Amino acid sequence: MGQDAAGVVGARVGPQVEALIRAAQRGDADAFEQLVRAYDQSVLRLAMNLLRSPEDARDVYQEAFLRVYRNLHAFRFDCSFHTWLYRIVTNICLDQLRKRKVRKEESAVVETADGPIDRMDSFEEEGVDANPERTMWNRQLRGKIESAIDDLTPRERMVFELRHYQGLRLRAIGEMLGTSEEAAKNCLFRATQKMRSVLGEFV
Amino acid sequence: MTCDSVSNLISLYYYGELMPDEEDRLETHLAGCAACARELERQRKLAAALDQRTAPVSPLLLEDCRADLMAAVAGGAPRMAGLRKGPWTLFLEAMASTFSGMGRLRQPLGATVLVALGFMAAKITPGNLSFMRGGAFANRGVSTASMTPDDVFSTVRSVQPDSSGRVQISFDETHRRVVEGRLDDQSIRRLLLAASHEENPAVRVESMDILKTSAGSSPVRDALLNALANDPVASVRLKALEGLKPISTDPDVRKVLAQVLLTDDNAAVRMQVVDLLVAHRDDSTVGMLQSVMQREDNGYVRLKCEKALKEMNASLGTF
Repeated sequence: MGQDAAGVVGARVGPQVEALIRAAQRGDADAFEQLVRAYDQSVLRLAMNLLRSPEDARDVYQEAFLRVYRNLHAFRFDCSFHTWLYRIVTNICLDQLRKRKVRKEESAVVETADGPIDRMDSFEEEGVDANPERTMWNRQLRGKIESAIDDLTPRERMVFELRHYQGLRLRAIGEMLGTSEEAAKNCLFRATQKMRSVLGEFV
Repeated sequence: MTCDSVSNLISLYYYGELMPDEEDRLETHLAGCAACARELERQRKLAAALDQRTAPVSPLLLEDCRADLMAAVAGGAPRMAGLRKGPWTLFLEAMASTFSGMGRLRQPLGATVLVALGFMAAKITPGNLSFMRGGAFANRGVSTASMTPDDVFSTVRSVQPDSSGRVQISFDETHRRVVEGRLDDQSIRRLLLAASHEENPAVRVESMDILKTSAGSSPVRDALLNALANDPVASVRLKALEGLKPISTDPDVRKVLAQVLLTDDNAAVRMQVVDLLVAHRDDSTVGMLQSVMQREDNGYVRLKCEKALKEMNASLGTF
């Protein structure tokens, strides 16, 4: 179940967080920093997981928290701060994902000054063991997972990310994405169906 | 419930997102249907395989993000409405009054640039000079007409009352002026170079972004090198690096790049430096990369160095 420093997701703001928000709204820089620190790890993890690039994740972080800084005065405590923050973050990430779709940059291969490299190669090799067959199988599976995820629409990908990796409930996800729980459920259903059809042989 | 409808609902069941009655009916079916039970097992394995795909977030990246954000906020990112306007807001407003937005500033070489002079003063005090009106200064013919808070910023240096009830105040005045011109204009260039030392990191980033297109000029080159070696904000250093790209073969530039590679605490900066150094290899490149390999603890940077060394058929370490 998705939780953060502020308590259970979807709940109204706890008293400590409320005090921080009110102080930050009055211009208290320390309170703003504490508020950022309470939530920023999960924001960065979400951006990194979705965009697979430290540079892009960094841009999302900066843009999101600057928007929070500029608009915190407009936060009226009528939803959880987590939901309000994630509305901002998911919007920015969705924009990035859509831009990538347009630019056909979904591939894990990135162009660098010294030729194309596979972004995934820079991540920790998971489950590498003495068994070469198993390593090969893992490698193939990883490739399949990447292409299955690339086939999702940005919205499906976002819903899947928030449900599977961030552990948020569909009701909260619908609220963040400005849609109904039912629409979020349909998105999750389509996403998992697509992945099951692509990854079926591996599992 | 049929096997087909179970197959459709199995993933939502796995995520605990079915209505309670749907869940009950599905569980009853699963208890008596081996094929659907296997389907659920496959869903579990799929989820476990997907769990492997999390991108690690390095604590370094988190710290960099926090530092950049706090620098932007401290440097005067646009404040929340309702608070007193900070220098950054005033700066943006000055921009907006002439241009439609900041985006225009990002145009490349030859673009018209606009610099609000008032913001380059080391210390800015939005002046409320109304206390001067009609006082001693009025007798001495000081015009207060232009002394509205929007035009003048002042810093009072000393206040000395005398026995006759008069007071002598010494203050520095900073008038905000707006100048407009092309990037190849010398005075615009000088202002941009001054802006690259400005206290506000956002102004430094903007000026680097404009200057980076003209690294061929030697004062600009020096400003870029200075920013790369000394600026505390990583985004300014990254902008400076972009500007140094076309002149990365210059021996002085390479010297600074090598030093930055070994000392900069930001991994993104070090990655970019490696790119620039290996784009034009020289005799010292191999040794430099080998010494990075000895002390570098960031996996991405190491990977890049390793790749470059392999391409140069060099060993990864010194023996």
